[in-house]
Amino acid sequence: MNKSTIRKSTALVLSALMLGLAACTNSGNDPAPTSQPDSSTQPEATPAETALNPDEPAWRLDTSPVELSWFVGASWYPHSWGESLNSKYITEKTGVKVNIEVPSGDANEHITLMMTSGKLPDLISMGSWETAVKKLWEGDHVYALNELADQYDPYFFKVAGDGALKWYRQANGNTYGIPNDSYSPNLMHETGMTAANQTFLVRKDLYEEMGKPDLSTPDGFLGALQTIKDQYSEYKGQAISPFFAQGNVPYGMTEYLQNLLAVPHEKDGKVYDRITDPDYVNWLKTFRTAYERGLINVDFLVDSDTQVEEKTNNARYFMMVREWNGMAAVNPMLAASANPDSYYIAVDGPQNSKGDSAKLFPGNMDGWMVTMISKSVKNPERAIRFLTYLASEEGQLDLFLGKEGETWDSTSGKPQLKPELVELLSSDIEKLEKEYGVMDTYWMMRNPVIINQWRPEKSPVIKQMEDFANAQADIDSGIYKGLDPLGDSEVAVAWSRIAQNWEEVLPELITAKDNTAFDKIFESFLSRRDSYGFAQVMEHRQAELDARKAKMAE
Amino acid sequence: MIQSKTGQMKTFLKQWQLQSMVIPGIVWMLIFCYIPMFWLIIGFMDYSIAKPMLQSPFVGLKHFEDFVTDERFWRSIRNTLGMSSIKLVLGFSIPIVFALLLNEIRSLRFKRTVQTISYLPHFIAWTIFGGIMLNWLGEGGVINQLFMGLGIQEREILYNSDPKYFWWITFFSDTLKETGWSAIIYIAAIAGIDPALYEAAELDGANRWQRMWHITIQSIRPTIAILFILAVAGILGSNFDQIFMLKNNMNMKMAESLDLYIYNMGLVSGRHSFSTAVLFARSIVALGLLFLANYSSKKLTGDSIF
Repeated sequence: MNKSTIRKSTALVLSALMLGLAACTNSGNDPAPTSQPDSSTQPEATPAETALNPDEPAWRLDTSPVELSWFVGASWYPHSWGESLNSKYITEKTGVKVNIEVPSGDANEHITLMMTSGKLPDLISMGSWETAVKKLWEGDHVYALNELADQYDPYFFKVAGDGALKWYRQANGNTYGIPNDSYSPNLMHETGMTAANQTFLVRKDLYEEMGKPDLSTPDGFLGALQTIKDQYSEYKGQAISPFFAQGNVPYGMTEYLQNLLAVPHEKDGKVYDRITDPDYVNWLKTFRTAYERGLINVDFLVDSDTQVEEKTNNARYFMMVREWNGMAAVNPMLAASANPDSYYIAVDGPQNSKGDSAKLFPGNMDGWMVTMISKSVKNPERAIRFLTYLASEEGQLDLFLGKEGETWDSTSGKPQLKPELVELLSSDIEKLEKEYGVMDTYWMMRNPVIINQWRPEKSPVIKQMEDFANAQADIDSGIYKGLDPLGDSEVAVAWSRIAQNWEEVLPELITAKDNTAFDKIFESFLSRRDSYGFAQVMEHRQAELDARKAKMAE
Repeated sequence: MIQSKTGQMKTFLKQWQLQSMVIPGIVWMLIFCYIPMFWLIIGFMDYSIAKPMLQSPFVGLKHFEDFVTDERFWRSIRNTLGMSSIKLVLGFSIPIVFALLLNEIRSLRFKRTVQTISYLPHFIAWTIFGGIMLNWLGEGGVINQLFMGLGIQEREILYNSDPKYFWWITFFSDTLKETGWSAIIYIAAIAGIDPALYEAAELDGANRWQRMWHITIQSIRPTIAILFILAVAGILGSNFDQIFMLKNNMNMKMAESLDLYIYNMGLVSGRHSFSTAVLFARSIVALGLLFLANYSSKKLTGDSIF
């Protein structure tokens, strides 16, 4: 490389710079791309409107082939439409061919980008907590489902049931999305199915060999850890990691642990600051003591997902603060391994000083994902009719069990999955979903009220955990889930600064050298929290809770 | 060397096929580096993603004030400078030394093999390499086993949980992964040296050290200068992928670099205007550093980029 080539390349860079500046001025003069939907895309009234019958599903009126793109807001979603038996059946029946799209990365970012470009997929399913959902609604990017239903398929109001529509109704009287996996408190009281996931798990053989130690009090907990260190630091050829908490600091060690300790969400109508609860702080100190004595390591705070997975699959954890559904695949595998008793069972974990049993989060009205119809759709009438069909009992049956005679039979009046498919459920679930496309393959519109009656019995190693969670679920606490401010408002920024700081402070608390140091770190966190604007966050939580209560009372 | 303007133009036109090969690169730069610069404007706005870009209200320097008063921002500056300084002071010469050593190897086959093996890790993405590092650094990982085997430490240390190790972990893992690759440019520069210089020096009785010092190093000096200038200009940058993979809640204090801070503020917390403001300020400082390094290099060695 000599000087003249350097000079030449510099000249090139400079000219590129100037070109770039010119291009920028141009783009600045362009009219800003409008994200307002064109009025011409408004649905036009069709002659069929007169024939609409609120007691009849309207999808039967038109089963000509049509394509709808469907965005599923989960990058891990592995399924497509058109290859599995069931998707072919539904396309044949309704004429609707679905093209499933998934984000390459974060769903929220993906949809936000598409919003700025103005072109959205026809149907959009996204996590109900995602900030983009709110933006879609407020930015008028999606149809009001009630308006579409009025116009094309009034049967929708019959099937979009259980108050879910009311739950998602906005201030302007419109509902833009329909949730899946939405559980109302009434339903949970009636059926005992709570969709609670949170459990405290221990490795069964080790727990029993230790004589089922009490883990619910700080002393019992530390005692059990001491036994592990002294006698079982290696067990059946595996180095044992005594403790794991799912979702690291913000979830496993905070909200989840607080639920195990039955820390209340509100006191006398006021939102309660759960982090300062004496029982919770006391247990954090117990973890600190355990760390000081070398009974636990901080691996649960630093391990990557793959490291956690490796330890889980080898049953190397003794106890875990962990949702049972995350173990649904591992537990049967462990039960079928060389150590058939090395699977995990749910037991009573840390409890508060009064010895109350845990108060776990149940499913809630928000559900999991909400499905919307975007204004980019070419055939809004087909979209709403398809959603209505999927939400109806007929559609739920088709989507969950498939075609009668092929994948299920009606024995004693109750639809039941064929035995060979039930077999697949435990042996090769991938094949079941890829080839047949039944059960939980297409869960975007899954309504637990309808489909749970058709579920085959779960294997005992899973059922134990699920039953335990159901028994300890606090059915009326769904309303407290996710009260924190989201988005880019000032209070949301304050909260995100506090939350991110807490993620760093909690590890410091656990590794603090003594209780005095612990108190000092905790105090300084509390004052930092105030300086970031915690008072506003509490106000926001209170307002959000009051609004939810008002909605429930409706 | 010195040509008239028209002469230069003539050569340029004659080589148009070759010269046009640079066009894709220029287009790429325009689209991904220059056009996006316009949107730095949102650093001065309260930008909300739900609204069209240019309709957000102007708020002047509000976000700039916000970040200079954020202690976490200054922490990220310290971490970035810390990691970059280690890389610059200790790391900058490693590929040069490696290239020089490689150059002295007589057996061509051995030389090629070493070269290939040394730059292979470069092609492993940080997402994979970071995972490997985490395993190595874990309780049962090779590093703990090695150090315990050698009697350096008594029990396992979770290296990745202690903030004080973090800068060194980034330095050593980066050296391990990139040395071979960074040496390529020096090896190429060395290959361009006229062999006659060596022959003449040998005749004059210069030994190997003298030849290395007076010929090899002197000939690749401009390359070293350019790379040094760029390295100084990039001192506020960091290897985002690497840090993103290796960071966790426990080492965050020392791990959050400026890039990670911008990411945490912009994409994690949704403060797009705020993070744009930080980015803007960073770029201005980086530009200043570039000029400074270029100026000093010109004064000290006579080699510079412009």
